[in-house]
Parts: sequence; structure tokens; C-alpha cells
Amino acid sequence: MKLLTKTTFYFLITMVPLLAMAGFYLVNQFSKEINYRSDNELVSDEIQWIQYLETAVANGTTFFLKTPELSIFPTDADVDEYATITTTYSYSKTKNEDIPYRQLAQVVSISGNHYQIYIRQSQEQKAALESDVKWIMLFVLAGLFAATLIFNWAISKRLWKPFRRSLNKIRSAELQKMEDMHFETTNTEEFNELNASLNYMTGKIYKDYVNMKEFTENAAHEMQTPVAVVLSKLELLLQDNNLEDDQVQSILQSVTALQRLSKLNEGLLLLAKIENNQYETTEKVSLAEITKKYVHLFAEFIKEKQLTVQTNYQGEFMISLHPILAGSLINNLLGNAIKYNYTAGLIQISVSENHFHISNTSLLKPIPSEKLFKRLKNSKESPESSNGLGLAIVKKIADVNNLRITYQFENELHSFDLVREKGRKEQTL
Amino acid sequence: MIIEDEQALQESILKYLDHQGFVCEAVSDFLQAKDKLAGFDYDCIVVDIGLPYGSGLDLVKELKYMESKAGIIIISAKNALEDKLAGLDLGADDYLAKPFYLSELTSRINAIIRRRNFSGNKVIAFNEIKLEAEAQLVTVNDKPVVLTDKEYQLLEYFIANRRRLLTKAAIAEHIWGEEYLHVSNFDFIYSQIKNLRKKLLEAGSGDYIKTVYRAGYRFTDQ
Repeated sequence: MKLLTKTTFYFLITMVPLLAMAGFYLVNQFSKEINYRSDNELVSDEIQWIQYLETAVANGTTFFLKTPELSIFPTDADVDEYATITTTYSYSKTKNEDIPYRQLAQVVSISGNHYQIYIRQSQEQKAALESDVKWIMLFVLAGLFAATLIFNWAISKRLWKPFRRSLNKIRSAELQKMEDMHFETTNTEEFNELNASLNYMTGKIYKDYVNMKEFTENAAHEMQTPVAVVLSKLELLLQDNNLEDDQVQSILQSVTALQRLSKLNEGLLLLAKIENNQYETTEKVSLAEITKKYVHLFAEFIKEKQLTVQTNYQGEFMISLHPILAGSLINNLLGNAIKYNYTAGLIQISVSENHFHISNTSLLKPIPSEKLFKRLKNSKESPESSNGLGLAIVKKIADVNNLRITYQFENELHSFDLVREKGRKEQTL
Repeated sequence: MIIEDEQALQESILKYLDHQGFVCEAVSDFLQAKDKLAGFDYDCIVVDIGLPYGSGLDLVKELKYMESKAGIIIISAKNALEDKLAGLDLGADDYLAKPFYLSELTSRINAIIRRRNFSGNKVIAFNEIKLEAEAQLVTVNDKPVVLTDKEYQLLEYFIANRRRLLTKAAIAEHIWGEEYLHVSNFDFIYSQIKNLRKKLLEAGSGDYIKTVYRAGYRFTDQ
């Protein structure tokens, strides 16, 4: 649930009963006030009537009066010390309904005679007034309520803006570009605290990342020198004519292993360099041309394996890509298609303006998607030597150069498709 | 002249080149190198980029400033494109990334010395076999032999590293470059070598290409 929804929800839960209670209280008070006023009027009317009666009956006559509003008549009942005021209903012919009346009743003694006094006042106006007041209040309260909600929403939206901004920044954060990331100061203290922490965090992450990267690069570089030393010693050792065949084989195997280590190192370095965008270029290359070049370069291997290569060049597939990376891309894809093929197998290549496709036959099982393009995940699957970095390099090159690479296994063919990425958002491996 | 700060590697290079008949000197830091280069003329200088007290690239600059005629090969642990381009821009003749095969270094030194050798002849000879580098012409007992590009490279490489045991991997990397590693194991060099040997034998040369069982090949007249 959104924070705003939540605050609004709690606001509603507390405000609705509060407003209802306030309304009820106001109407009640209002009604009481009206009754009080009309009761006062009734009492003052009565006092005037009693004064009038005292003068009117001074000569000993009996007084009798009966109107809908006022009845005064002699009675035998005891004198009431206080007047009682009640609300009664009586039928009105004009309105055709019961109409509420406020009625004062008292038995008074005037010149020794007891008189019953009833004074009534129609409450019709009051009811109408009350109803009006209720409606007005309902409108005002509802308006107030709605206005509060809208303001609450608008204010929240405004207040949370810096938070949203920070959030969006975090969402689009990329390790390589974290250096330029800055969460600016706002006029809200809490967000300032948050942004300051975020600045600190991204700074630290970036620093760690750079350190790590430099470490990897330096480690890889530093590793090449000892490898060079060992390789040169092994090569010299091989020149010894007194070596037994076993010893020669041991040395050769060491050389092979060393070469693998060195190639692995180079692969990792290449990946690091691609990640660091050390191969930025404004040049455009034609994938079709590069493909042709590599097909030509590998012609001997293709011939030796008796592979059939079906090519279909419909377009150039021009792309801004560093020639080294373009070469590496095609080299890896075509190399794999040759290496993992069987004798007299098939390779299909098609290049059009926006699409590069290569597929090959192979005895290997389809590559499971969780291993596809992952570093060092596939090296145990094939009898051929592999450093397990080829496809990771392909994927990395595609990723940083607005290309999308996909893999499929269909009709006994392993195929890779390379297309331009449309509306690409930044993504990480 | 070998300028390499890694003592063990320096020794290996010296030993191998010595075997191949080169007269070599070696130094292991920038200052020594500068002294030597100022005092003596060399045919070829193999220089590492990362040196104590200075960069190998600055030595290349220095040599060019002195208008030295020496061929220059840069060797570096950094297989970085920028280094390579910077080195070649400064006037180095070749660039070799560590780790490399000594046989590869030897072959490149040979090529450079031959190219630099303006006064003398540019013919490489091994007994009755003669290679005319510029025309890529091969003769056996003065009779021309027609070789493919790859076979020619192979022969040149063999002669540069004569009498050395050359592993299949080193040969493959020399002829086909690093790309081959993506494609195949190096058994495919067998047919190339077989063809080369056949052509040379047919032309009347000695059988110099010796197969070293399960290891590689040796080009030798012994």
C-alpha cells in the first residue's frame, strides 16, 4: 500500500467519526438553543398572560380562552409550582401532517381561582431551520473533508518529490557510472539525511568497485610476467636433447596449461576493458565484412572439418563498434560454430541490415539458459579446450554496444541471433 | 640488446638467442639501458615497457631522437591496444605481448634484422635452401620451389629457429595467430608441414623437418 493511501486511510478512519460527532454535537446544541429561546418566549408570554389575567379577573369574573395557540380555563387541579414545558404533536389540516409544538402547561392561582394555562408555539420553523442547518453543515463538513484530502494528497506529492527523485536515481544506478551520481540537498531535513547517506554509500561502492577493478586488472597484468618466465623456461627445457619422452610430454602439458591460464587471463582482461568502455569508438564497421573476413581466415579449418558454410549477405549491418570488439564478436561466434561442430556438419550465416544470424550443427546438447553467456560455466561440457569466456565476451560486447544476442536450439541447430536493441535501457549483466 | 627487468625472463631470452647465434647483451633498468644505448650500436633492441626508473616507451623515443638504425621490438605484460599503438607510433617495429614463445621472439628479431640490413643481402640461407624475403622466393640448389604463403612462413620460422624443438602450439600461433585457439586444436598444422616437407624433398633438399614424437617438430641438419 502506498504511503499516501495509508495516511489517507488512517485520516479517514479518524476524521469520519470525528466529523460525525462534531456534526451531531452542533445540531444538538443548536436544537437545544432554539428550544431554550422558544421556552423563554413561552415563559415570558405566560407572565404577560398572568398579569393580564390578574387585572381581567379582579372583578370576580371567570376567564375562559381557547385558541390553538393559547388555552386558559378554570380548573380544580392543584397549583403547579413550576411550569412544565413539553413537545407535543398535533394534527395540522393545512399541512396534512402532525406538527411539533412546544407547549407550556401550568396551573396557576389567580385571585383564589385556579386556572390551567396552555401556551403553544409551533416548532415547524424550527424543524425546517434544523434541517437547513443539517444540510449546510453536511456540505461544509464534506467540503472541508474533500479539501483536506486533496491538500493532503497535493502536499504529500510535493513533499515526497525529493524522495522520488532519489529513488529514480537509485533505480537507474549503474556500477560503472556511479561516480557521477549525486543526490542533491533538499529543504527537508529527513531527505537530506537520506541523500547524504546515499551519497556516502554510492561513493563508497564506486570506490570499492574501482579498487576491485584495478586490482583485477593489475593482478591479470602482473600474472602475465611470471607466466612469461615459466613459459620461457619450459621452452628452454624442451631444447634439452637428453630428455625422455615422458619428460617432454610433461613439459608440453605444462606449456598447454600455462597457455590456457594466459588466455583466460587475457579474456578476463578483455571483459574488464569492455566494461570500462575502453573501446569506445565513433567508427562504424560492417559486420558482413568482418564475417566474410573471418570465414576466409578460418577457411582451412572449415575445409579440414569438411563443413558446409551457407552464407547469405543481404545487408552490411553497419554498427559503431571498435574493430577489435567486432572481430572478437565474430571470431567467438564463428569459432564456436566451427569448434563445436562435427565433421561434415553445417554452418549457416545470414547478415542483413539489422540482423546477424549464425547457426551450426553440433553433438552438444542445447546450452541451458542459466549457463548461457555466463563466465566459466560451460568449459566442462565439451571435449574441446575452451576457456569458457567466449560467450561471456560476446554477451558483454553486445550489452555495451546496443545489441541484443539471443540463443535458440531448433531443428538440431544451435543458433545465435544478434539484433539492434530498440529503446534500450541501461542494463547490467 | 635485451632490456628486461625480470631477471629470469632475461636469462631465458639470452640463452635462447645465444643458441640461435645472436650476440646479445642485457640490462635490467632504464638508466643502464640509456647508458648502453648511448654508447653502442645494436642491430635490434628488445625492450620491456615497465622498467625500473622509467618507461620503455621513453627509450624508444630516445632511440628515435638519436636516429638509431636499430630495430625495436617492444615486449609488454600489458596487451593494451594503447601501449601497442603508442609503441608503434613512436617508431618501434614490432610489439609482442607477454607471455610469448621464445621461438616467436627469435623469428621476429630475425625478420627485423633482415629488414634493417640494408647493406647486406636479404637472403636467408640454410644449406642448400635459400629464402629471398622480399620476393618470398624459395630456391633449393638454385631451383625455385613454389610454396603457399603459409608454407613460406612456416619455412622462415623453422629456419629462424633451426635446431630448436618447436611445439605444435608455438607453430600454430605463429602461422595462424591467436585466433586459431578459438577454432581448433593444433593437429591441423600436420598437413601444412607434411606438404612443405614434401615440396622441399621433391626439390632435392635434405630432409630437415624432423618430427619429434608427440611433441612437435625440429628443423635441423644434424
